[in-house]
Amino acid sequence: MEFDGTTFALEIINFLVLVWLLQHFLYQPVTAAIAQRQAGIEKILADAQATRSAADALKFQYENRTAEWEQEKAEARRQLQQEMEAERSRRMAALQAALDEERNKLRAVEQRRDLEQRQHLEAEAIAEGGRFAGRLLSSLASPELENRILLLLLDNLRHLPEQQVHALRAAGQSGELKVISTYTLNEAQRAGLTEAFVVLAECPVGCEFDQDPTLIAGLRISIGPWVLRASLLDELHFFAEAQHATVRH
Amino acid sequence: MASSSSFITEIMRIGPLVITNTVVVTWGIMLVLGLVAWAASRHLSATPGPWQVVVEGIVASIEAAIRSVLPDHYRQVMPFIATLWIFIVVANLASLIPGLRSPTGDLSLTAGLAILVFLAVHWYGIRTNGLRSYLRHYLQPNPILLPFHLISEITRTVALAVRLFGNIFSLQMAALLVLLVAGFLAPVPVLMLHIIEAVVQAYIFGMLALIYVAGAIQSQQLKSKREKE
Repeated sequence: MEFDGTTFALEIINFLVLVWLLQHFLYQPVTAAIAQRQAGIEKILADAQATRSAADALKFQYENRTAEWEQEKAEARRQLQQEMEAERSRRMAALQAALDEERNKLRAVEQRRDLEQRQHLEAEAIAEGGRFAGRLLSSLASPELENRILLLLLDNLRHLPEQQVHALRAAGQSGELKVISTYTLNEAQRAGLTEAFVVLAECPVGCEFDQDPTLIAGLRISIGPWVLRASLLDELHFFAEAQHATVRH
Repeated sequence: MASSSSFITEIMRIGPLVITNTVVVTWGIMLVLGLVAWAASRHLSATPGPWQVVVEGIVASIEAAIRSVLPDHYRQVMPFIATLWIFIVVANLASLIPGLRSPTGDLSLTAGLAILVFLAVHWYGIRTNGLRSYLRHYLQPNPILLPFHLISEITRTVALAVRLFGNIFSLQMAALLVLLVAGFLAPVPVLMLHIIEAVVQAYIFGMLALIYVAGAIQSQQLKSKREKE
């Protein structure tokens, strides 16, 4: 155990030099490398954290966006539903109106067709009835019936209204008298008829007599523009036309 | 070549300066440590290799140990304390190499290290707290304790030097005696104990130095912190 001053002093210097050497070549570079790596790790961690935060933010935004999109979708679907309902209602109303109009038209057409068919049937029934009455009257027609019709005509001529008397008189004075009968008139009948018209015309009248079996029974007398229809055929026509007019109205 | 003890030998003389084997081995250790440090720090990369991992592990462990004692000033004392640990470990283990002996078995070296610790304590204390504030702590908690503070400064410095010197010197002496008495391979267990003792003594020396420095730095800071609270 010996103390040497030179060694003591040199060891102090040696140690201080060693401190400088290690500080310069070991501690500073190594701690700097560690610090640099630590900074790199912290930067990577910070970047990762930032990336994670950004990802979380994006996720949050995406979730919000998804929720908003779902809401928008639901709203759009609701609006579309409403518009479809409104359009369906409008089209249904239009279709209903068109159907009603068509139904009304169809009903009117049906009614018109029924009416026309009924009128046609009635007309046919009237015509058939006329034909039946004509055949019945044809089988019942006779000169006696025609004589009775002549007598009825002469009676009616005597009771004609004044206005018609004037019209017939004017026609008798300017024209010729043509008498068409179903059966051949005898002289008394022709004379009675001529006399009646002479009295009516108050002047001599030329009479021309003819026959038409289709008249069934009775007479058809033409005076100028006037025609006096006093036959069963004309009566049947008259009744048929009257029925036609009644049916049409 | 003069020999003042069984281990310390004079290598050469430069004027009035006597260069002993302690100084030469210390230079060798400095050279080796300097080369290792230079080689280790040449190719530092962000992706460390095995060698860099070992070096960084040693430095980071030392830094963590210092930081656990001095969290606010560990960067200031790191070079001094870390060099103490590294140098003493290597110096203690130097005697495992045949033909060499541990320079820490020389009281002159351990005394020099203890004096450096003594000076470093006051240097860091004054630098951190200021001269007046630092000297004031010798009067606390009571000025009557000033002599005890001064005695403590001296005795702990002497204890640092003698503890390290005594342990390493005694281990070398024991190994030599066992070798002389028992034969060639008999000192092997003693040498294994030497390894443990070398690491432990280096740790004790460095940790005590760190605690002394921390006490000097934090003596006034803790008081001012308590006053603020």
